[in-house]
Amino acid sequence: MRNISRKEFLKIGAALPLALQSLDAQAAKSPQPKHPPKRIIFICSCLGFYAPYFFPKAGKDLSSSDYLKGMKSLEKMTVFSNLFHPGMETSNHDSEKSFLTGAPRPESSTFVNGISLDQVLAREMGGDTRFPFLNFSIYDRGWGISWNDRGSAIPPMHDEERIFEMLFGEEDLKAKKLQLKNDRNILDCLRRDLEALRRQGATPGKLDSFKVVIHELETQLEREMFWLQARKPKVEYSLSNDREFAFSSKIQNLFELAKLAFRTDSTRVITFSMDWIDGAIKVPGVTGGWHNLSHHGGAPDKISQLSKIEIETLRQFNRFLTELDQIQEDGGTLLDHTTVVMGSNFGDSSNHTCNNLPIIVAGGGYRHQGNIQNDQPTPLCNLYLELLHHHGIDASGFGSSQKNMGLL
Amino acid sequence: MKNIRRHLISLVGLLGASQLLLNVLAAQEESLAFTQLDHATLEHFENYCFDCHDAEVKKGNLDLTQLLTQGDKDLTLVFENLITSRMPPAKKEQPDPEERNAMLDWLAKSQVEYSPASYRRISRHEFVQSANDLLDVHLDLTGSISEDRGTYDFDTDRRVQVTREMLNSYFSALDEMLEFAFPAQGFVPEKTWITNQIKDSHETYKIYTRPYLEGILFSWTRSNNGNNYSFFYDNFDPPVKGWYELSFDAMKLGDFPEDVSLMVFAGKYFHADDRPQPQRLLDVISLGNKTLQTHTIQAFLHPGENVSVHCYSRHNFRQRDGDTGAYIQQLKARGPVLDSWPPSAYQKIFAGTPLSAPLRQGPLTSISVNSTCEDHLREVLRRFAEQAFSSELTDAELEPYENLAVHILREQGDFVAATRVGLKAILSSHRFLMAPGEHSNSSFADAAFLSRALWLSVPDQELMDLAKVNQLKGQTLEAQIDRMLSDKKTERMIHSFCNQWLNLRKFKKITPSLKLYPLYDDLLNRFLPMETEAYLNHLIQENLPVSLLIDSDFSFLNQRLAQHYGIEGVVGQQLRKVSFDSKTPRGGLMTMGSILKVTTDGFDTSPILRGAWISKNIAGNTLSPPPESVKAIEPEHGEEATSLRAQIERHKNSPSCYACHKSIDPYGFAFESFDATGQWRSRYKVKLPHAGTFQYRLEGYFRLGAEVDASGEIDSQAFGDVFGLKRILLSDHKKIAYNFVRKFFEYANGYKPSLRQRLDLIALIPNEPDECRMRDLVIQTLIYSLNEEKQ
Repeated sequence: MRNISRKEFLKIGAALPLALQSLDAQAAKSPQPKHPPKRIIFICSCLGFYAPYFFPKAGKDLSSSDYLKGMKSLEKMTVFSNLFHPGMETSNHDSEKSFLTGAPRPESSTFVNGISLDQVLAREMGGDTRFPFLNFSIYDRGWGISWNDRGSAIPPMHDEERIFEMLFGEEDLKAKKLQLKNDRNILDCLRRDLEALRRQGATPGKLDSFKVVIHELETQLEREMFWLQARKPKVEYSLSNDREFAFSSKIQNLFELAKLAFRTDSTRVITFSMDWIDGAIKVPGVTGGWHNLSHHGGAPDKISQLSKIEIETLRQFNRFLTELDQIQEDGGTLLDHTTVVMGSNFGDSSNHTCNNLPIIVAGGGYRHQGNIQNDQPTPLCNLYLELLHHHGIDASGFGSSQKNMGLL
Repeated sequence: MKNIRRHLISLVGLLGASQLLLNVLAAQEESLAFTQLDHATLEHFENYCFDCHDAEVKKGNLDLTQLLTQGDKDLTLVFENLITSRMPPAKKEQPDPEERNAMLDWLAKSQVEYSPASYRRISRHEFVQSANDLLDVHLDLTGSISEDRGTYDFDTDRRVQVTREMLNSYFSALDEMLEFAFPAQGFVPEKTWITNQIKDSHETYKIYTRPYLEGILFSWTRSNNGNNYSFFYDNFDPPVKGWYELSFDAMKLGDFPEDVSLMVFAGKYFHADDRPQPQRLLDVISLGNKTLQTHTIQAFLHPGENVSVHCYSRHNFRQRDGDTGAYIQQLKARGPVLDSWPPSAYQKIFAGTPLSAPLRQGPLTSISVNSTCEDHLREVLRRFAEQAFSSELTDAELEPYENLAVHILREQGDFVAATRVGLKAILSSHRFLMAPGEHSNSSFADAAFLSRALWLSVPDQELMDLAKVNQLKGQTLEAQIDRMLSDKKTERMIHSFCNQWLNLRKFKKITPSLKLYPLYDDLLNRFLPMETEAYLNHLIQENLPVSLLIDSDFSFLNQRLAQHYGIEGVVGQQLRKVSFDSKTPRGGLMTMGSILKVTTDGFDTSPILRGAWISKNIAGNTLSPPPESVKAIEPEHGEEATSLRAQIERHKNSPSCYACHKSIDPYGFAFESFDATGQWRSRYKVKLPHAGTFQYRLEGYFRLGAEVDASGEIDSQAFGDVFGLKRILLSDHKKIAYNFVRKFFEYANGYKPSLRQRLDLIALIPNEPDECRMRDLVIQTLIYSLNEEKQ
């Protein structure tokens, strides 16, 4: 039984030996592989951004945006206006589930989500790295913006220490090897039991769904076994431990981990769900309930307080971009080889509407052109489709996409 | 009269469409009855509903003539409004009970039934509790498994599928549990530490503590930024993770009636300057004794953690060189403590096999099983798997697990190692993780369902014995549920159900502002949810009337909670039943601090958000989601309380807003008498600015603003305050009970009851308020669920 899955694994992970060679080469001489790989990260700030401050006021000029002016990497950034996901009219906060999938009516009680964009990309781009993808969130909510091909939430990691440990912590190789061997035997045993039950006529739906999970975990164990041959990269510990501004420090750390993961080529696909947290948060200048403030209803003092939180998240975002742009790789900087998508499922969280979503694409080596204003409401999935094409996936469509509009 | 023709036209249309529907349903046996039902029932809708809800008037944006004719529409809201008597509105003509039932029946039959998956995965809480019980250990690993309820309210929701990530985290959790139960390198010896030294702190923190007699006096409480500083004991570093017994020889100093609270934390030692690190509150010791006594608690500690204490009393708030507070002569720590030797995990799992357990001395002591006998191994696995799977197993069924373990035994020659791998496979199996499993008879299936619902676990020996002879039915079944409810393990259900139904899992994530609520503290954070759990447990254990969910004249309080609620004469931090006089605005769930706090963000209260939540979850109203593109606002209090109320009252002017907001705003208003920590208030607080570093002070940074107006109106009945609101709600015990059983059904089954099932559930509710009791409702809902599960 196990041989088949190994074969299948090799099919998926055919590029792995290449990755190992490049690791060896890296150890031997050059600090980076010859042709820097493409990376991509999606960030969703699920309470959106106050639109009048976010969108540029004067044509294409990004520095006419209250929020974006002063950012260092403006020339490597494009802001899109008038993008939306169809089918979100009554979705409210549920629209967050569909940010990267474009699946309509997420509020319905029978809603089943689609696969998220990062997961489609990870299939193509995830083969050569220790981790096919990473996904982060601010706290343990169990779901973020990554959804698997059966529409199940992929629980994001939120604990910085654990993520750091997973990426860079040393392992007891001998013990790990024995454990992986035992675990593979366990999966074999579970599969045999499933087959026996099937012969007895047990509920097939239930058995099938578990069989898929066994298969996926087996693939993961094979991958872990394979990567035992290569040491984890060593990096200096650089996480912040600021308890006073715990929220800022959390966001800063998750961006830092994303940067480190890209720089060490530990993964090439990351999602980061900036999910709102309950209760009050404290950022420089304001302490208040993020959600409560997002329902500002146009009140100037509430908007002023809310904007301090949004400015803080964008300050961390800017820092992330700037640092990526300072890391030199062949033919440019790490930012030039990393597509950074920052946006939200809400166009206006005060009214719970999902039109004119705030969307930024930065880096990636695109021909950036300031603010792209679509005349008509345009499906965000058009942009997603374009990103798929840019990353070598010849898809005919994604979600509600109509066509690749060649925006970038 | 002028409307009759229009209605008749729509009625004809309605009948035509129903005919279509009938064709769809023709295959079903009840179609004949359905036709007969049709004409009469539609007349009821015509009589009681269409006046407002037809194509022309379309009140609340609802055109029933259209909705009822569309086969695939969701009729839940119509059904719920009808069954809870929200519709027709009180001032309109009401259908008599028979007519109402006919209409409900019609709706239930017309609803295209959404069929939930026939199975579900067990939740991470059920996983951890079951594995603990099966292995006879107590290791809370829930936190190391990701939150797994997806985007839903209930942990058991059937729409959540097992994922690779879940199975992977179960693998890791099991490794940790099995290593804890059967450590590969053996057990360290038990040690005792005695210390009266605390670790070094910053100079400025020396005011909190001083040497006193043979130990330390803790007197100054709370610091500049409002944090409670705790002080770490030196000379005790837990060598391994495990259970430790912590004994404090301590006494209270001071001439005041209340106890001093000795809060015991575990966490990583930090040099106290002004940034406290997160720590786990292990327990609270109530110090009332004025001579030295030994106070002992049990705590689970990890290596790298230290034990710290903070002693709180409001009587020594910043008393420099005070001689009141808590005197701790010494801390005696003992551990890691095992429940027996060999530990009961070995005795349970390896029962009947020869164990070799040398005396627990020397650096590490291993327990081994002196056997390489494959039959023994098979027996060990069978006993474990039968309980985990709640089924008798044939040899063929056991074979995959047996082969796996025997393979390891042959390869490594270590009986315990082979068992560990076998147990891990059993606990990773779909037969354990997916419910219902494959059970050898219906008693086993029922035993599994009941133990999951009430204990979040697997059947115990008594249930297993009854299931083996397939006797878990009829009178025995009911008696067993009753026995299970009396078992202490039922507290897990209470805890879990409160987390899910009442959202208490969010409670500790909301941190009230110390500027507005300077008295809020860790003690309240610990005890407020415990009050709710103790109360709900009491209602169920004592089989009290369901109306007590809304109001009662008692609750479970301790010294700190009583202070919070302004009730005198409660000394000591043990929860106990406390009676209220008729002027106390407490009693029932809605006026508990836990509920009142969890419905805010810790700063302001939002009448709309809080009102909607309480209306939906406790009063049992069904609300539609807010419409698109409405200027939503979270109104601000303070001085403009009148304008806040005026803003909200504007909902009344728009029929489409008011359709929902009449069931939201009045609840919000009534609870405006309670602030974001659940304390009673008659005036709002207006935050004052303060310059520079936050200097904590007992009076906070606010002044009093506008007066609270807690009046409102529900179904044309006016109320002046929360007492009045409760009286209105109490008049309908069936609605209270219906809401409870609906939530409990969803908790136990992992899906919302269908409309047909809701009719069955409401039929379980006695007509007499006094006969409508909590334990009965729980038992009846479980028995009903078991029968539904077999459909």
